[in-house]
Amino acid sequence: MFKKPVLLTAALASCLAISGNAFATDDAEIRGLENVKQFTLDHNERLISQAGLLENAVSAYADIIASHDGNYAAAWQAKGPVLAGQIQNIRTLWLEASNQYETIEGIVAGIPETAKYDLILDAGNPGTENEDIAQYDLTLPDGTVLSRPGNLFHGITEPLFWGMEESHIKLVADLNDDGKQAPGEMLFDANLGLGAAQALTHWAKKLHSDMSVWKPNRDDAFTSVVTMTPTVGDYFGEWKESQFITGEVGAFVAQSRLADVQGIMGGCKKMYFNAISPVVSADNPDLDSRIKSGFEELLSLVEDTYAREKSGEKFGIEEADALGNEAQDIADRIVAMILQAAAQNKVNIRG
Amino acid sequence: MKRQLKANLPLLISGCIIGILIVVSLYLLRPPAPEPGIDLVNIPFYQLPFGPDENGAERPFWPSRLQTDNGRLVDPSKIQSAATCATCHQKEFDEWAPSLHAIAGRDTVYERAVEANENLHRDGIERARFCEGCHAPGEVLAGRTNRFKSVMPSDAETEGISCVMCHTATHADPLEGNGALTLAVNTGVDQLSNPMILAAPRDHARAFGAAKTNALIASADFCGGCHTENYDQSMSKATTRQHVQSTFVEWRDSWYAQNDITCQDCHMAPDPASYVRQIRDGDIRKPERYAHNFVGANYLMFDTSLGSNLTWLRGGILPGLTKEQNTRLIEKQGTATSALLRAAAGLALKGSHVTDNRLVFDIAVQNLGAGHNLPTGVIDQKYMWLEIVVSDADGSVIYHSGSFDTERGQTDPDAVIWREDFRDSAGNRIPDHLTFITAEITHLRKGVPPKGEDIVTYDVALSGDNTGPYQITARLWYRVATQEFIFNTLKTDLIVPPFELVSATFSLPADKKARP
Repeated sequence: MFKKPVLLTAALASCLAISGNAFATDDAEIRGLENVKQFTLDHNERLISQAGLLENAVSAYADIIASHDGNYAAAWQAKGPVLAGQIQNIRTLWLEASNQYETIEGIVAGIPETAKYDLILDAGNPGTENEDIAQYDLTLPDGTVLSRPGNLFHGITEPLFWGMEESHIKLVADLNDDGKQAPGEMLFDANLGLGAAQALTHWAKKLHSDMSVWKPNRDDAFTSVVTMTPTVGDYFGEWKESQFITGEVGAFVAQSRLADVQGIMGGCKKMYFNAISPVVSADNPDLDSRIKSGFEELLSLVEDTYAREKSGEKFGIEEADALGNEAQDIADRIVAMILQAAAQNKVNIRG
Repeated sequence: MKRQLKANLPLLISGCIIGILIVVSLYLLRPPAPEPGIDLVNIPFYQLPFGPDENGAERPFWPSRLQTDNGRLVDPSKIQSAATCATCHQKEFDEWAPSLHAIAGRDTVYERAVEANENLHRDGIERARFCEGCHAPGEVLAGRTNRFKSVMPSDAETEGISCVMCHTATHADPLEGNGALTLAVNTGVDQLSNPMILAAPRDHARAFGAAKTNALIASADFCGGCHTENYDQSMSKATTRQHVQSTFVEWRDSWYAQNDITCQDCHMAPDPASYVRQIRDGDIRKPERYAHNFVGANYLMFDTSLGSNLTWLRGGILPGLTKEQNTRLIEKQGTATSALLRAAAGLALKGSHVTDNRLVFDIAVQNLGAGHNLPTGVIDQKYMWLEIVVSDADGSVIYHSGSFDTERGQTDPDAVIWREDFRDSAGNRIPDHLTFITAEITHLRKGVPPKGEDIVTYDVALSGDNTGPYQITARLWYRVATQEFIFNTLKTDLIVPPFELVSATFSLPADKKARP
């Protein structure tokens, strides 16, 4: 029925169409991967910035201690309210820095070139353990070198700044001036604090340096989105909890995180739409469509809730709980679907 | 007519035979029903960092000893939510909803403690299957206790120990513990819609009320599957098995087990405190019915004076409940919890003597109503202590031990305390329940056994100004968490108030005899 030239033309045209589509996919994916890298570097820069602020705050605290020749009691006597304010500020800055790191933690841990920084900053054991040791030594301002002391966020600075490690408490003090000395009311070891804060800045910068030469691939893109998206649920969960907590009880946890959620979620959505969607839609357009809807739904929920909060609206416990659970549920569903897509496309999720 | 029938009969019979053959053939050739549940290979990115068992079989839920009857994971969409069960079983749901079982996997104190443990290892989330196997079995069985959660979430997994987690049990190993339960959540359930359940209630009853399951869940063995906890190398630094929670064995070796008084008899009695007092009075008849409240000892999770902070501590509001229902049910259960705690213990003065400069006396701390040690469970956080105040004839306090600092939330470190301590490999005490780095369990003082007593001797120095008669005020306190744990894990200033289990006052005459 068809003449040979017609068949050849049709075959050639279909080949061109297929390869054109493939080129378009590759091109979109490459652009998307660049976004992944930029997003990660942006958050790494915010981590450096927060770590710098933390270092400055601890440095100011250490200056006061040093100006009293390392006599914590004398420093407290002379500058009690100032030191109390500084410790409160240090804790707030620590939480901000830690949150910045947690946003990119999954990527840092998942990339072989940067995995060691996850151990140093957040997850590594001290040298006394057998596995997952943070491979670095910590030099303190007084020249003391701590050999492989463990990770900086949870292993050293968190217990130090919150007074969880008795051996590093220099003076029990009534920080909030309420006439009692509850747990956490203390002056911590300024020498260790400053050394650790300086190390946080140093290793955050080293991470950025290695991250800058990283060439993300498809595996990295999937890994990024499936490790970052659940943090959105966590942030929203914190927001939910902040609606419940009243009085002194929530001194360190009641922070609205909706602005962060919006920023990170926007980034995740962008990464998915640019770098991953072309891959998923090629084989499973239905799954791609459901994932995209999930992102739209989550972002819409976040934006709406944030707008209501900014307008001064107060949420009842029941509503805050429902909103928090809904956000967590949507984030969980998105991640589950992306992981299923990753499996279908034989993507290696690392971390 | 007859002739016509006779003529057509062979054809009719042939038709019937062929029809039967076709039906039988179709039945025999039908595709086999798919095995219920999900195969491990169908859960993308599921991590198995602990390797196979000694027979080479995969251990998807390890280090929890929890298992499904057919070895497959559970499709979360097939796990019936308790809120769904409430459609017909409203009374049971209302009993269960405020319970610790319902919030076992979501209460904030537990969640934060798990996170702290997870942060200790790169495979911390997978290691936390040990915790979640008992606290959130639905999550573990669905494969969601994993670094990469490729399984869809469901309401049922947020419900802790929900209806199906008990009503599908087929085996328990109370001595092994650590979640040593086998659940037929894949095969022992129906998937009937509500109208179908109404149309065929026996099928529903057969599924969830199998004789074997009903017998098992009425036994203490079943409770022992989770209320026995041992640390070993699979989840901790312990090189030899460390007994962390021995509630089942404490009961098994007691008068209660000998008299067939089970966990369920007390903790599922409609009014547990009244039932315990009935037992104390020697009447060991079974309760008239079993309620699903599982009343226990954690009074903090029912302290409605905490307001919305309690909602935070409890991890929000359970699916199927409104805020008002939630508050009403919690208040009711709180009353029952306090009453049960007050039915557990007693204090007695066992002896005393006064010399020129010393007052020596023995206080017996008695376990009168608990069918297990007092305190029991994982008692590195839950602890009990004795407060003693001695005053002289003038009313002056001459001795005080075991005070509680309500501002700092600290118990007198020199008090007589019943508590176990987690210790790391260097022997240091771990105050914040870090299971994964625990190497050894030690006891300040072991719990008081059922119907037993622990005698504490006090030796008080008297000065020349002190004159009798002396008065001893004894208070036995219980607390569900240490302040270090609350601060380190929650980063809050919440002071956990202690609960007075019992108090007594004893008068000692000025001479050498004591008179309670």
